[in-house]
Amino acid sequence: MSGFLNLSWQNLLRHRTRSILTMLGMAASVGVLFSVLSFNQGFNQGLETELERTGLHFMIVPSGCAHEVASLVLHGAVIPKFLDTKVMQHVRSTSGISLATPILVAQLPDPQRGKIDLIYGVDMAALSAIKPGWQIDGKTPTQENEVLLGYEVAQHEKLQPGDTLRTTEDGRTLIVGGIVNLTGSQDDAFVYLPIETAQALLDHPSAATAIGVKVDDPSKMVEIIESLSAAVPGIQIVTMGEVMNSISNLAASAKALSLSIVLIAILISAVGVMNSILMAVFERTQEIGMMRAVGASRFDIFRIILEETTIIALVGGLIGIFLSVLGSRLIETFVRSVVPYVPSGELISFDPKIAAGSVLFIFIIGIAAGVYPAWKAAKINPIEAIKG
Amino acid sequence: MIELKQIEKNYRRGAEEVHALRGVDLSIAAGELLAITGPSGAGKTTLLHILGCLDQPSKGEVLFDGVKASSLAENKLVKLRREKIGFVFQQFYLIPRLSVFDNIALPLLFSKKSADRNKILELAALVGLEHRLDHSPAQLSGGEMQRTAIARGLVNGPEILLADEPTGNLDTENSEKIYKILRSLSENGLTTVMITHNPELAARAERAIQIRDGLIHS
Repeated sequence: MSGFLNLSWQNLLRHRTRSILTMLGMAASVGVLFSVLSFNQGFNQGLETELERTGLHFMIVPSGCAHEVASLVLHGAVIPKFLDTKVMQHVRSTSGISLATPILVAQLPDPQRGKIDLIYGVDMAALSAIKPGWQIDGKTPTQENEVLLGYEVAQHEKLQPGDTLRTTEDGRTLIVGGIVNLTGSQDDAFVYLPIETAQALLDHPSAATAIGVKVDDPSKMVEIIESLSAAVPGIQIVTMGEVMNSISNLAASAKALSLSIVLIAILISAVGVMNSILMAVFERTQEIGMMRAVGASRFDIFRIILEETTIIALVGGLIGIFLSVLGSRLIETFVRSVVPYVPSGELISFDPKIAAGSVLFIFIIGIAAGVYPAWKAAKINPIEAIKG
Repeated sequence: MIELKQIEKNYRRGAEEVHALRGVDLSIAAGELLAITGPSGAGKTTLLHILGCLDQPSKGEVLFDGVKASSLAENKLVKLRREKIGFVFQQFYLIPRLSVFDNIALPLLFSKKSADRNKILELAALVGLEHRLDHSPAQLSGGEMQRTAIARGLVNGPEILLADEPTGNLDTENSEKIYKILRSLSENGLTTVMITHNPELAARAERAIQIRDGLIHS
């Protein structure tokens, strides 16, 4: 350690408790900054991955709110409108489309259990194309009375493949064919069943909440969308990119708010650092006077004090990042429990760029917080200081 | 070596104008051991600070080796203090977390020189602290702390050592040890100026001057 750095370090050790508490203040701020930035990045990546996993290029839904469509795509929101049955015929007759699969999402009450099941009717043959990331215990339903349970539903109802979920009003017995492994997303809360069964249970033959479409050549997607929009009235076509933007826009204000809170926390910590170092400067006035007498320039004094704040900020920053990586699972669990939509997958992971950026930021804040105490120290008149 | 010509120093203390020095003339020869005595508030410390280029006079000239120090810029004064002047204070002002070795070496940090271990050992031996180099100030007696401070004042090889009541906080035995060190330094050619309230020590110095009301009464 260089002489100046060692001197600054030793000065901090003189008031160990005060220095540690100040560092912890910095650590908390940097930890939260790192977590929020990591979460924001993880959110965007997770969202992108989740949309890619749908394997679809766009969704056709009844005209309405784009946010509803985003919700439908991502976690099967219930939209109180159905597509006209003719839409499916139009879509299937359009050239350039490799897959068009109707989806029917609805709430289905079960008076016997006193519960409402969230059902997701889909063409089971197209399921692997829509949800390619899924792992299933048991099998994908092949019979009209077979269902696939989301992980949480299976856990909550304590059901295994082969068990009976319920008997419907029209006398069907729905048997559990398989259980989807934990996805960490809202997919875990649904009962998946063949779309024909869902349509029959809702008494809406041929109805669909949405049609998921995959095209042969993505470069021709715009032309296909324009052609479909012109041919079929009363529909809205939303691409996965638009869904991503829609969700991102919804999340943007929350991200901005959380970042603002973090910045305020950092500002408070920086003021704490400034106060702590300023106290140390006042306590060491005579010592600073002595150093000036034995040859220290004003800049030497400025440097010693500035290095003290920089050490506090840097060590605090590194501790904060270390703790936030250690506690990332806890933070993620908490966020998932309070935020309505969070993509599946790991949201807070150690990204060296974010860590380095956070440390650099706090380094700059440390220097900014240290300038005033360092300037005060450099201005100390050695004669008055020595006189005490 | 140092010459003060008609030095006046005035400053304000609240509403009061203080005339700390009122026209002091003083010449100090190289290698001289000079004792400055006088009552509290007479201007002894102000004079020492002007001699050490820590303070500038309100009027008059300070010549240091023929150079007019009283008109030097701040950075030149810092350089002068680093290279030519050593300070010793009554309160020692050692850095508590640094060892005796590091306390002695502290001024080298500001003159951007590396701490030569042999030189520090030599200085420690000169003040009788060669066996205490790794100790912290809290482990030293008052006399040992002042001896550390003297070694610190010598580490840059100054031409003059200025000691402000170096025995003021010490018992008779330790005061005697400190005086002997200062005397020995002076005998070896180092100009030494010592403020003291101890008339017996002042009487043993090569020359003693008394300051009263901002004026020298030899």
